[in-house]
Amino acid sequence: MSSVSFWSSLKEEARKNYIAIFEQEWSTWLAGIFLAIVALLIFLWKGPWGVAAGYRNLGDWIFYFAGIGGERPYSPLLHPITLTSGGLLIGAFVSALMSRQFKLHKAPPLEYAKSAIGGVFMGAGAVLAAGCNVGGFYTAAAMLDFGGVAMMVGLIIGAWIGLRYLLWEMEHVTQKGVEQHPPREKWLGVQPYFGGTVLILVIGAFYLYSAFDNTELGGLLFFGFLIGLIMHRSRFCFVRAFRCPFMTGDAEMVKVVAMSLMIYGMGVAVIKWAWIQEPSMGVTHNFWMGSLFGGVIFGIGMLVAGGCASSTLWRIGEGQTKMVVTLIAFAATNSLLARTLKTFDVYDKMGEGLFIPDTLTWYVTVPTFIVFFVFWAFVAIWNEKSEKLVIF
Amino acid sequence: MDLENITSFSVLDARGLTCPMPLLKTKKELKGVPEGEILEIWGTDPGSKNDIPHFGGKGGNSFLGFVDDADGYTRYFIRKG
Repeated sequence: MSSVSFWSSLKEEARKNYIAIFEQEWSTWLAGIFLAIVALLIFLWKGPWGVAAGYRNLGDWIFYFAGIGGERPYSPLLHPITLTSGGLLIGAFVSALMSRQFKLHKAPPLEYAKSAIGGVFMGAGAVLAAGCNVGGFYTAAAMLDFGGVAMMVGLIIGAWIGLRYLLWEMEHVTQKGVEQHPPREKWLGVQPYFGGTVLILVIGAFYLYSAFDNTELGGLLFFGFLIGLIMHRSRFCFVRAFRCPFMTGDAEMVKVVAMSLMIYGMGVAVIKWAWIQEPSMGVTHNFWMGSLFGGVIFGIGMLVAGGCASSTLWRIGEGQTKMVVTLIAFAATNSLLARTLKTFDVYDKMGEGLFIPDTLTWYVTVPTFIVFFVFWAFVAIWNEKSEKLVIF
Repeated sequence: MDLENITSFSVLDARGLTCPMPLLKTKKELKGVPEGEILEIWGTDPGSKNDIPHFGGKGGNSFLGFVDDADGYTRYFIRKG
């Protein structure tokens, strides 16, 4: 009798946890904390977390297969950031399956065109800023590189311009909604089993990498997977932090990103100040011109496409077909522009990484960092009440 | 409230559109709805299930609820207040 109640209680608990993890949405606050922790783990494991370099690797391959690529690009299976970014996509895919939310979404024709154009802008912006919303802003700021702050300013300006465009489009272009396939009950039922299988394959892949003496790469795939899971379950979207203050006045995502950055940045401060990792690590952004102008261009692109580098990946994972267009346009533009700039030697003129503690000392950097992001959150909170910055 | 048989003043078809378009269009469409009348929004973006209820309850309007239609989209109802 006792064994029966033992197993049934265990089963009951497992069911409750499954619902909490995969059926109910996570709060973005929780996700912001998790994200900072995983990003710090990636920093300790290998180096700064980025996303866009994975796009570049894909773009290099597109040109290589088209016959205009020159030498053979780095294998995606051995490229650290391609693995993290691929893991992010797979993590979101598994998460969508486990939640029975995977579904191919069709968009109206204009949306596909906007996805492509937004992808082109983001691809270009990420070259100038030497990173996307993750590598160029979130991680760059946490690495205590002034470039991250410059890109943040650029992203705010870009989001404002991009939102202006969306408002113009709404007034001048009418588009009809498109019907979607109704969900099939049978498919919904098998999704979690399918998701579980992919999860086991990802864990298997880690051991496989490890068996071939590449534990580091296997770990990066797994960390990316965790980020995809976190982002999909909470629908974590960096774009909101830049767009919502102008659109609805909502300050939630600004508060979450600011909090997440304080954890991430202070974690990095501990790691760098203690020399666990080289203090100059990740201080590679083009401060200030590249980061600022790259941020503006990237910001416009993320509004037009409806997703940034990270949310494009998790949205593909849940079946948004239009985001595949963004992925390809982003990847191709990024690869092409990076080559062009290298050929013409412009890249070096856009600025270089500037480590905040080198200018302000550690003693001033730490409190300034906190005050700066608290201030950002306070402005957003004030705007939520007053709607002074809302343009629509 | 019986959402299935509600009489809406107007219907906004945002099926296939993704964040932020459904919300932007809702905000615009609401401006043309007289007070006390109901705006119905059809959407397919999973993110809308947070966004529209959250936004619909602001600014004196009230969010009445949503129903998942058998054809694979969700109907949201906001009463202009």
